[in-house]
Amino acid sequence: MTDRPTSERAELTRRRFLQGSALTGVAAFIAACSTQSGSSASASTAPSAAPAASATPGASATPAASAAVQTPTGPLHFANWDAYIDLTTIPGKDGKLGTDDDEYDLPSPTLDEFSAKYAVKIDYVNAAIDENESFMAKIRPQLVAGADTGWDLIVLTDWMASKVVAAGWAEKIDHANTPTSVANVRDELKDQPWDATFDYHFPWQSFATGVGYNVKSTGRDLTKIADLFDPKFAGKVTLLEDPHDTFPLIHLMLQAQGKASSNAAEVMTADDGQVVHDYLKPYVESSHIRGFKGNAYLQDFGSGDTWAAFVWSGDLASSGGPDDRFIFPDEGSMIATDNMMIPKGAQHKYTAELMMDWVYDVSRAARLANFIYYISPVKGVAEAIKALDPEAAKNPLLFPPADVVAKQHPQPTWDDASETKINEQYADLKGV
Amino acid sequence: MTRRRWLVPYLLMAPGILFLALFFVLPNIQMFLMSLSTKASGTGLARTYEFTWAWENYAKALTDFPLQFSNSLIYGGLATLLCLVIGYPLAYGIAFRGGRYKNLLLFLVIAPFFTSFLIRTISWKIILGNDGAFLSIIRDVLGIVPPNFSILGTPLAVVSGLTYEFLPFMVLPLYVSLEKIDRRLIEAAKDLYAGPMRQGGALIGGFAGGGLAVVLMAGFGYLPLGVDHLPAIVLVAAIGGITGATIATLLVSESFTRIIFPLSLSGVFAGSILTFIPAIGDYVNADLLGNPRTQMIGNVIQNRYLAQNDYPTAAALSFLLMAGILIAIFVYARALGTDELTGGAE
Repeated sequence: MTDRPTSERAELTRRRFLQGSALTGVAAFIAACSTQSGSSASASTAPSAAPAASATPGASATPAASAAVQTPTGPLHFANWDAYIDLTTIPGKDGKLGTDDDEYDLPSPTLDEFSAKYAVKIDYVNAAIDENESFMAKIRPQLVAGADTGWDLIVLTDWMASKVVAAGWAEKIDHANTPTSVANVRDELKDQPWDATFDYHFPWQSFATGVGYNVKSTGRDLTKIADLFDPKFAGKVTLLEDPHDTFPLIHLMLQAQGKASSNAAEVMTADDGQVVHDYLKPYVESSHIRGFKGNAYLQDFGSGDTWAAFVWSGDLASSGGPDDRFIFPDEGSMIATDNMMIPKGAQHKYTAELMMDWVYDVSRAARLANFIYYISPVKGVAEAIKALDPEAAKNPLLFPPADVVAKQHPQPTWDDASETKINEQYADLKGV
Repeated sequence: MTRRRWLVPYLLMAPGILFLALFFVLPNIQMFLMSLSTKASGTGLARTYEFTWAWENYAKALTDFPLQFSNSLIYGGLATLLCLVIGYPLAYGIAFRGGRYKNLLLFLVIAPFFTSFLIRTISWKIILGNDGAFLSIIRDVLGIVPPNFSILGTPLAVVSGLTYEFLPFMVLPLYVSLEKIDRRLIEAAKDLYAGPMRQGGALIGGFAGGGLAVVLMAGFGYLPLGVDHLPAIVLVAAIGGITGATIATLLVSESFTRIIFPLSLSGVFAGSILTFIPAIGDYVNADLLGNPRTQMIGNVIQNRYLAQNDYPTAAALSFLLMAGILIAIFVYARALGTDELTGGAE
């Protein structure tokens, strides 16, 4: 029932279509093949230059133009996490300050005073950073190409900050411009393995990782990490999503039970990770641990799906229910820090250094801590904050007592090989 | 214009082909090349990938994730089966008994699509969660489960989420094919003494019901398959068999089995494909409603891409998934027969 086409080229037959698309596909394959090898060659030359530049980390100081007098330039582009700076309190609907419905918004007193003193504008973007990884994904192409990222000051957590420093993407800080920071930074935050001399970062705020629980559901108070593995809580326990948080805490617990090596939590190795993995695997298999969560644990606490978990210190206090508690476990806790860094290619580096110096003034740091409710990196804030809010001075979330601090460990920073192994172990636990 | 008529089809297809070439063919080729690469140099953030014809990526991807592959197949298959079991009577009811309310009923089937699919999954998380309706009934009112019992994190939760997501995809093609059936054929069948499913009806229904019950219970993990669990298996099969036989003899007629069902096979095929393919690759349901033991291949791919920066393995897994689905559909099409695909049009 098919008519012969009258002209030879009239019909687009299926055969011709398949032939044409096969030819197109092969051509596209060859084209992509050559561009792939071409682009990977050019991409591999760029980062090979970067590690060479950072191969001399703190050894050779090059105080470029600090001899000459510099003037701060602006506007300063400052990217930060949500609610991580003091905001102005505006009275809410009742028109009165100091009541529950007060609202908080920019401008920030700290930033305003800086602007006034140095006569530069500040472009502070609240919640520009939501996650280390997604923010890095945004600025990574510029950093790889050696271009200006558009930011002068960014705030990244320890483990991401160490990678940025290792990749050579952070500007070296001139300590002549940051004397207050150098003097006032807390001793516990010194000697970070990835930047011991504060050449590339200064801490912004610290946060602790510990155990959170709902006292009504658990029926008792928890004091140790080992309490999470109480058989009565089977199916109601979650751990944290990032191995930098979870593995060291379990390692601390195993050390207290004599089942792990004597490596301190901040220098735990992939072999220690294997021990932790082997310990956790049966609990995951039996569904005692119901998952590995990020901030989503707040919802689970709210609905009662989770009774006890690893949590970050500020969250339950600010957003949890009345029965949610946070404790620093007996075996020890982790302390991590979000750090200020200047990305490579920043246009207003001197102003950024001045800002780093500005927030380390003790009274300003006290004002910041009183608002943010995280752990300040500045010495002497405990005294200064009494003038602002006597209750805050006694809050263990802001000022962990000395015995807790003695058992606090920074997050580990792993090299590539170890991190790959630990990620594999963690993926196996997570079931992916 | 007649001289250049051969050009017209190409011109008409050009925008579509260009779009596909740019946004489908080229990315697929790039992914294929990535799947054959290995991590070459760079530390930390500055990693690069080198194309080295690394076929071992595929071998590794195939053998490293047996649990996740089997989870994907089982949960996707169960979701498709459940969608068919729930969706066929629904579509049949709307097509044959809908009357004036056909459009309204169809709208009700599609109405959930107006909300984002992520929100629908999160609402299932709330329904099946500790505070939700389901646990309140069986834990607080009936008291048959202990206080720390949870449905979230079980295969049942994941498959329920998947079934709910893809039910409209099954119902609509089924409805279309059922709607196309000429009603006079059924009249003719009744004129020729078509009655209840006499010949072996109870047997077919019994086997189907028993098989379905065992598959469901085993897939959800409540019925371990093994020789020492034979009594339990027999019990489940018996319950399912009796239910199936009852439904078959009481509700199913010969005109259904000999006329309606064969003519609707094209709808069954289309609906199953539209349900099975996305269900296998889904990761949101396993992420929100599951636990570390119910993760699917989609979750592995997501983790490899975003958390571990292991692009070659993730790309290899994607292609393996695509290949598996193509093979499955090919086999399915052969089994159903290509005549049924075109709805018997000739």
